Amino acid sequence: MLITREAITQYIPHRAPFVMIDNLINATRERFESDFAILSDNVLVENGFLQETGLIENIAQTCAAAFGYLDREAAGAPKIGFIGSIGRLEVFELPPVNATIQTVVFPTHQLGNIYLLKGESFLEGRILLGCELKIVVAG
Amino acid sequence: MHANDVKMSWEEVVEETRDFLSEEFEVDRGLILPENNLKDTLDLDSLDYVDLVVLIEENLNVKLTGEDFKEIATFGDFFQLVRKKLGL
Repeated sequence: MLITREAITQYIPHRAPFVMIDNLINATRERFESDFAILSDNVLVENGFLQETGLIENIAQTCAAAFGYLDREAAGAPKIGFIGSIGRLEVFELPPVNATIQTVVFPTHQLGNIYLLKGESFLEGRILLGCELKIVVAG
Repeated sequence: MHANDVKMSWEEVVEETRDFLSEEFEVDRGLILPENNLKDTLDLDSLDYVDLVVLIEENLNVKLTGEDFKEIATFGDFFQLVRKKLGL
């Protein structure tokens, strides 16, 4: 475990009630991994399930936490990033309240300050959602 | 199949590149000419350049960087860069 849920907001700019990640489990330049427990009071839960927007945000915040962690490891301050675009989105299943999902992200390309990342979220080994994100990292 | 995997002539690489650029960016193939401006013709914004890099890598097995694009204005420049990277 690299960052626990108690410390996660030191690495990402998001704040309650819009924090959609608990623990950053692993972060290298090749792979990010996190988990997230879906609580009933999550603002993106509807009818007992976390919606697609919550899963996409979870992937984006996994990127934010991992970039923040890696920046600090390199003795720099975490930078702010923005979602530039979302592509190749596939939704297979939505996770119910009280489930804990696992998220894996692979940075595939970098062009200047723009990163292309492939993210997937899972519940008990079943894929929930996959997409590609372009993230623009500010200055 | 990549240009590096088979013995493609330079002319074949150019024609194949015109094909996939035309399809991906929904541009008339006839506009992809050496004298035309790459950015304007393909209507590229900064995010689209990432798609272009992925496309070139997937189709030609050529890796492009941000630095590479500083020297590129026209398709002619672009094709010459790809040619250099392919060693053709």
